[in-house]
Amino acid sequence: MSVAEFVIADAPAVDRSSPLRWIASHVARHGWIVVMLLVGAFGNAALAALVPVYIGQAFNLILGGGAVLGALLQLALLIMGSQVLRGALQLGRNFGAELIGQRLERDIRAELYVSLLGKSMTFHHLQPVGDTMARATNDVREVNLMFNPGLNLVIGSANFLIMPILVAPSFHPALMLTPSLFLVAYGLALWQYLTELRPVTEAQRSAFGEMNAHLAEAVDGIEVVKGAAQEDEEVSRFTANARTFREAFVRQGRVEARFMPLLLLGLATAGAFLHAILLFRQGAIDLGQVVAYVGLINLFGFPTFVSLFAYSQVSLGMASARRILDLINRHTELDQNPSGHAGPMRGEIEFHGVSYSYPGRVRVLEDISFRVAPGQTVAIVGQTGAGKTTLGRLVNRTYDVERGSLRVDGLDVRQWRLGALREQISIIEQDVFLFSRSIADNIAFGRPGASRADIEAAARAAQAHEFILAFHDGYDTLVGERGVTLSGGQRQRLALARAFLTDPRILILDDSTSSIDSATEDQIQQAIFRAARGRTTLIITHRLSQIRWADTIVVLRRGRLAAVGSHDELMRSAPAYRRIFEQYESR
Amino acid sequence: MGFFTGLDAESYDRTYRDRDLVARMWTYFRPHARRLTVISLMILVMSAAGALTPILVARVIDGMSRQGSTEGGLSLAAALFGLGFLVWAANWVRRTVSARAVGDVMLDLRRDAFAAAAGHDLAFFGEHASGRIVSRITSDTSEFAQVVVLVTDLISQFLEAAVIFAVLASIEPRLLPWLIGFLPITFLVAMSFRRLARRVTRAGFRAMANVNALIKEAVTGINVAKNFRQERAIHAEFTQVNRQSYRINLRRGFVLAMVFPVLNALGGVGTAMLVYVGGLNAVQGLITIGAWYLFISSLDFFWFPVLNLSAFWSQVQGGLSAAERVFALIDAESQVVQVSQRPVPRLEGRVTFDRLQFHYLPTEPVLEDLSLEIAAGEDVALVGHTGAGKSTIAKLICRFYEYQGGRLLVDGQDLRTFDLRAYRRQLGIVPQVPFLFSGTALDNIRYARPEATDEEIESLARRIGEGEWLETLPQGLMTEVGERGAQLSMGQRQLVSLMRVLVQHPSIFILDEATASVDPFTEYQIQQALRLILEESTSILIAHRLSTVKAADRIIVLRQGKIIEQGNHTSLMSQGGHYAELYDTYFRHQSLEYVERARTAVAR
Repeated sequence: MSVAEFVIADAPAVDRSSPLRWIASHVARHGWIVVMLLVGAFGNAALAALVPVYIGQAFNLILGGGAVLGALLQLALLIMGSQVLRGALQLGRNFGAELIGQRLERDIRAELYVSLLGKSMTFHHLQPVGDTMARATNDVREVNLMFNPGLNLVIGSANFLIMPILVAPSFHPALMLTPSLFLVAYGLALWQYLTELRPVTEAQRSAFGEMNAHLAEAVDGIEVVKGAAQEDEEVSRFTANARTFREAFVRQGRVEARFMPLLLLGLATAGAFLHAILLFRQGAIDLGQVVAYVGLINLFGFPTFVSLFAYSQVSLGMASARRILDLINRHTELDQNPSGHAGPMRGEIEFHGVSYSYPGRVRVLEDISFRVAPGQTVAIVGQTGAGKTTLGRLVNRTYDVERGSLRVDGLDVRQWRLGALREQISIIEQDVFLFSRSIADNIAFGRPGASRADIEAAARAAQAHEFILAFHDGYDTLVGERGVTLSGGQRQRLALARAFLTDPRILILDDSTSSIDSATEDQIQQAIFRAARGRTTLIITHRLSQIRWADTIVVLRRGRLAAVGSHDELMRSAPAYRRIFEQYESR
Repeated sequence: MGFFTGLDAESYDRTYRDRDLVARMWTYFRPHARRLTVISLMILVMSAAGALTPILVARVIDGMSRQGSTEGGLSLAAALFGLGFLVWAANWVRRTVSARAVGDVMLDLRRDAFAAAAGHDLAFFGEHASGRIVSRITSDTSEFAQVVVLVTDLISQFLEAAVIFAVLASIEPRLLPWLIGFLPITFLVAMSFRRLARRVTRAGFRAMANVNALIKEAVTGINVAKNFRQERAIHAEFTQVNRQSYRINLRRGFVLAMVFPVLNALGGVGTAMLVYVGGLNAVQGLITIGAWYLFISSLDFFWFPVLNLSAFWSQVQGGLSAAERVFALIDAESQVVQVSQRPVPRLEGRVTFDRLQFHYLPTEPVLEDLSLEIAAGEDVALVGHTGAGKSTIAKLICRFYEYQGGRLLVDGQDLRTFDLRAYRRQLGIVPQVPFLFSGTALDNIRYARPEATDEEIESLARRIGEGEWLETLPQGLMTEVGERGAQLSMGQRQLVSLMRVLVQHPSIFILDEATASVDPFTEYQIQQALRLILEESTSILIAHRLSTVKAADRIIVLRQGKIIEQGNHTSLMSQGGHYAELYDTYFRHQSLEYVERARTAVAR
């Protein structure tokens, strides 16, 4: 059974079987807010409909003659009071929608965050950071906007649409005709409009993206463009892209111009007026009711103009919800094996016919076999794409081997308890990641609460002490966006310091830094050598000097083991390896 | 631009007088004068039709109120149908035509802006962030063109209001003050909401940016967190920031949720007032029932323009500043100026610096009286500390920058007299960070010589390490390299850029050697490619690798813009001067001796 690597105890239960149910189960936790939203929406529309009714009564009052001032004042005060109350109800609607939106944004973000923490490293290595970020930021935001303004306006305008139908019969039952017809026609026209608009908008957006991306590339590579005298070609390429965008823009303009609900609104106004006059002539309604009815039809103005935007906001929000849920629901099987072996590790590693391929892609590693004795240092070399990095990641089960077996201390890695395995294996990646906190906190990341003396000792061993002291705040210097920027070599040495502090039995070091100067190179060599001493170490390296002092060298070529042995053995048996050293001697 | 003014300013920005700015904007719209006329006509039609509706209705109600006659009622209903259709049709024409006009103006302006930018020299691009240049070309141009839509929208609303106003004034001036007096209040309320909204919105965005930054850190650093089992700690931190963002954004939401309820309540008060005051006048027979109706129903016609006006200025100002930014980009002056456009024959590649003077900033001279003669076919390595002037020499040969004194000759001819692009076609340039465009490796290789055949490229590729590097590309030369070459490794990108130059057969080869480390197998292939180029061109190498330095015919040692030593590796080493010092600083660890003795040295 697969268990998420991180869970929190008090997580609320939600239904993740479909995006709609998922959103609904989140909303269900805020029942009273939904009531507030619905009551507010209905009350807002009803009170808005009261205004024309009161105005009609005022007309009748004046036409009736007599002493009316008191009654007129009363009507005016009723209008004023009802509209202030309407304001309060509308605020209830708006704020209710806002409250749901904000709470869902908060809760969904937290849910996604926890789920990301719980996913296996395999998942995180295969899932592009940019994509995850887009879902955790933009998409979560879109779900919020789906409620306010999206659903807020949809529900609000729906109440405005039905209100004339509800109120009109109080004047005359036949007067329901025009608003009912409008409602049907409006629904059809809007649906047709949105269907037509969607692909056009999409086309415009992608045309803009294309134009922008190509332009950004040309500007970034301007030195190459100029060096190759390709300015005119780039300008005409850009112009072609800009023209494509122009076409898409005009097409969207055409669709938007033909906005049928606007025509329907005009027709409804005229139709309502005609109908009212006919009834007036028959004496079925009085003038005040004519005025009230015409005013009532004006309520359609709001749904006509806002719904456009509101509906697309809702559909964007649902699409975002689907993307987020998709990420949360993605399974990342990795057996944690909680009852597995958990003893201290000696550090022996054996590969037996190991193969691995990323899901849906070609094989990265094929039939790899070699053995590393405890405490040995192994250099792994090969061209880009040869599978060096993947090889390292199999050892701590960032990925699980596909065929063959990988043993640590004679035990298949899957028989180890995952936590125990990883605690005793440290991987230092090519791009060393540092958190935006102090240097000391970064070094002590794996051992929170380590004393300052221990931290400094680790930094000394990693040859980092000197450059750390060179910063104004020393060990308290902040790293990252709000602090100092560190070079690749410096980051690497901080990662080594981290490793000194946690003292793993196996160290896997993906080293692709380069030193501009020889003094730094001396320090890095020292740091890595010390880190390798007393533990099993796999170094994925470009450095010939490291290759030279490794006990064993593993040469990979296109995912296969091309050669394995000591330097002297490889100089005899591997021509590609020999060539590298020979070119030095030829000078 | 209000509050944000100055935040995105660039040194080439200039302030145009409003009159000049509008005149220049007009040059872009003038070709569409006929379209603009149509748009204006349609706006007039819409405004007239929009204003006419309540006026007509009021007149009929007047008739009905007097003797209950519905005279003209039916023809009025017919007229209303007509007006409804007219408004829609006019809107259709107006939107369609303005989409075309706006689209064309955007296209013209974008083309002009990029063509101008592409003509600027590298000093310009070095000084200004590329993202900002791009946004001027794509986003500011769009904002500029949209100004026209904005202006016409507002004009149409004001015209409607003006028509109604004129009618009301002619029927019954007495009620006008009640209607007008109410508007400034609305305007002030709308304005203060805008100000408040801006403040809470800024706070809300900041809080959200914090959450996003934290998520980004967690996602990118998740391996570290998992390696050290620190999930719980970073989750606690996240929860706190997430809750904080919720609180702050809820406050913002509350302010925004208040806007329309308050304005609507205000509108209700206005309506109530007009009902009462108008009714009072109607009872006394001072105004007709129709006029009363018209007053009540015209509130909206004044209402919307006033609300929009509170947002309008900042938007128009935004459009004008966008125009200013685009024109500043177009007008930025280039420093590199050619005195003539002499055609360039096949060059031999002899380069002469004659007492050359150059500086980026007048106070900090980079090269002073530099004299240097590079023979045709010679391979020269430039070495020195950062800032010694190595890259400057290379960039001056490319004529990316203008020099201030002395002469720079190629094949004995002044560089300033060449047809620049014909000259650059004979240069092969590899920048320190190799740059690839999205497309295939093959597209990139023939970038500088589009007519090169597949066969020619294929056979050149095979000459590098027996073509072994091709096997690391999933689809060989047809491999998509991704945006900026991101799908390829550093070493592969270097090889592709070297291939680009190999295919070009340049007279002069300029290499700013990469400092990034590459696996030893790829490194071997890069050396082979390099040697192929060195054989056939004059080469100027900004060397970072010991092997490159040793491969050069002559090493030129620079210090603070001056040549202080020259010679080959062995002779310079035996001199024990600056080169020997540079060797100890930068090259020592690349030597075979260092590699060989690493085993014993580190164990010390």
